Amino acid sequence: MSTRSVLAELLWAEKYRPRSLREMVNQEEIVKRLQVFVKEKNMPHLLFAGPPGTGKTTAAHALAHDLYGEDYRLYMLELNASDERGIDVIRTKVKEFARSKLPANVPFKIILLDEADNMTPDAQQALRRLMEMYVDVTRFILIANYPSKIIEPIQSRCAVFRFTQLKKEDVISRLKWICNNEKVVCDDRGLEAVYEVSEGDMRKAINILQAAAALGEVNVSNVYRVVGLATPAEVRALLKSALFEGDFLKARDNLRKLMVSYGLSGVDIIKQLHREIFSSEINMPEEMRVEIADYLGEIQFRLVEGADDEIQLSALLAKLVLLGKPLRQQVQAKPTKVK
Amino acid sequence: MSQERRIPWVVKYRPSRVADVVNQEEAKKAFLNWLDSWLRGKPERKAALLYGPPGSGKTSLVEAAAREYGLELLEMNASDYRRASDIERVALVSSRGASLVRARGKIILLDEVDGISATADLGALDAIVNLINKTSYPVVLVANDPWDPKLRELREVCLLIEFKRLTKTEIKKVLQNICRNEKLDCEDEALNFIAERAEGDLRSAINDIEALGEGFGRVTYALARTVLGYRNRELNSFEVVRRILTAKYSWQARIAASQTDLAPDELIQWINENVPRQAVDPEDLWRAFESLSRADIYMARVVKSGNWDLLAYASDMMTAGVALAITNPQYKFKWVKYGFPEKIRMLSKTREVRQVRDDLAKVIAQHLKCSTSVAKSEVIPLLRVIFDNNPEYAARLALGLGLSDSMIKYLSERNGDRVVKLVEDLRAQLREALLGGLESPARKEVEKVKPATKKAERRRAKSSEGLKGFLKK
Repeated sequence: MSTRSVLAELLWAEKYRPRSLREMVNQEEIVKRLQVFVKEKNMPHLLFAGPPGTGKTTAAHALAHDLYGEDYRLYMLELNASDERGIDVIRTKVKEFARSKLPANVPFKIILLDEADNMTPDAQQALRRLMEMYVDVTRFILIANYPSKIIEPIQSRCAVFRFTQLKKEDVISRLKWICNNEKVVCDDRGLEAVYEVSEGDMRKAINILQAAAALGEVNVSNVYRVVGLATPAEVRALLKSALFEGDFLKARDNLRKLMVSYGLSGVDIIKQLHREIFSSEINMPEEMRVEIADYLGEIQFRLVEGADDEIQLSALLAKLVLLGKPLRQQVQAKPTKVK
Repeated sequence: MSQERRIPWVVKYRPSRVADVVNQEEAKKAFLNWLDSWLRGKPERKAALLYGPPGSGKTSLVEAAAREYGLELLEMNASDYRRASDIERVALVSSRGASLVRARGKIILLDEVDGISATADLGALDAIVNLINKTSYPVVLVANDPWDPKLRELREVCLLIEFKRLTKTEIKKVLQNICRNEKLDCEDEALNFIAERAEGDLRSAINDIEALGEGFGRVTYALARTVLGYRNRELNSFEVVRRILTAKYSWQARIAASQTDLAPDELIQWINENVPRQAVDPEDLWRAFESLSRADIYMARVVKSGNWDLLAYASDMMTAGVALAITNPQYKFKWVKYGFPEKIRMLSKTREVRQVRDDLAKVIAQHLKCSTSVAKSEVIPLLRVIFDNNPEYAARLALGLGLSDSMIKYLSERNGDRVVKLVEDLRAQLREALLGGLESPARKEVEKVKPATKKAERRRAKSSEGLKGFLKK
């Protein structure tokens, strides 16, 4: 075992995930209340809400761990609703588990629905019935970034826990602790940079930390190098060819590369573009940044409605080609080369 | 009626010389060059695929050429394709005796190859490819829609020669000629009507004028209007898109959409692919895509709500909406080359890569307890950084996560092979360490059983549950 742990490595976000509520260093109020559930061996349905990377999934697993011990997964069904979001899953997998007989040694089973705000409304309606019917043997833990996307009747059946954004010093001290454990050289400015680019999301922060460490040590330049390398060059290339060259077809080639070889969804690409347009390395009039941001929002909304990634993003590219027209004319008018 | 007049006019007025084939100068040139290369004995491609709308002169050109060159025409069409054995019989004839000195040469003509059913006419397509490989005579294939996926293999072995849709003026000229020859009283307006209605199909125009001329002895506009019903024609995908994008009025675009068997979700991809080629002006491009985007939203709502009525609006936006958005006269009617929707092509081409990527995302999602989309957008890019820059560390991660070789190669083009090798080394070390403690006889025993110990195997299995699920499939 020890040889294996020397030779094989895990993702740190998994390796350093707290297993028990006692190990959780954040969200003290919530942890305290969850520990009461463990002590009393009873709990209502729970809804964990809050931004990504604030400990919701970790808390749910830790709670189950503390209730049932090491083999807690025997008594818990986990589903990620973004991957299995339809009503069929609720009617089959969830229902079967919910109604199954209660093992003698546990007070109830747990069904954990992560990213539950991605469930379709029908699926949520079906879920609501199950929560009522099998409450004596099964408790649900729902996890959501946006609790308002959970239908009212489900919310009212749950005890809602709001997870708050982690404090900067908490994130940094955790990162530092990991670095010590891994014997990785790090400096404070490097760790601060990790915090900045991960926007308070602990999972993201740890993943970036690990990638930066793989480049040697955790310092500012490595952190930004990682972020730069992890942002596909095609995102910027796409922006440039549409806006500054007016070359729609070239931009669309880059778009397709992003979607096919990187497997990015339309929304992923929009988010990355959103970061790019406010980058100081892209030279454009300030009001144009805002105009593009507005349109990015519109396109993302259409995608969330269920529209087709390629068609909607092509519409975005067409808009960029149009917006860039005056820029391109300026460049042509001036004899000096402008980037 | 005289004997002579019983011959259908389409036969009677069939061009007897290549020069008589209406227009299609480019196609003629390409075809004759190819035929000459055969006669000189060194064709670059053994078969030619002539394609274009119905009645544009494909078969006529082959027949005229055969006549001029004194070649025998061996012809098969869709009804003969039912069995591979039929084609093989022709193949047998065609592979024999090519060089019999001065023996009469042949052209093998396979008409309507797009009429072959990929499922019902089992083996027919393979038999044709086989025929092309073996033939000692020129083989000509004719099709309306060469882009049909089932014809892909044939496309690859053939010289493609495109026939353009004939213009109204060209058709009218032929009609006038026939009127003179048949001494028919023809109203100019009637000829315009017939030519317009033919939509580039000369054969159907001749049939129409024959119907009026034979039946009534004169061709008037009033007769033409009442006698000739509306011909509903199925168009190939490129043609449909062209008509939609170049339509001046909304009804033209909407009719074009009704003349295809493409489903709305396919049609929108065809339009999406080709809009930027026609709508070059940025204003037009933007308006056209805004319309297409609206159409797409209606389609999404159809799916979401199950309300199929909404499809009508989706269809309007993707046809008329797009057509009217393109206004710049400089580009509106310009002939540009269209393409097959890249999205559909890529989906089949990249199936394997996507499978690896999705499996990898599942493995990561399982480890990190996140969704596969988070794995794809947040974690995989960082893993790529690690795999590209630190192969030794990457190998340890690959071992820990239980990644397959193809996943490793997906993560780094640069270092993929190297990391795979390193992982093998690590496994060997692991094995060594686990066996190290054992007495040598026992050790031999274990080595015989398994390359790795059961314990290690089990652990590995545990760490790659996602992968296992995929392998089972």
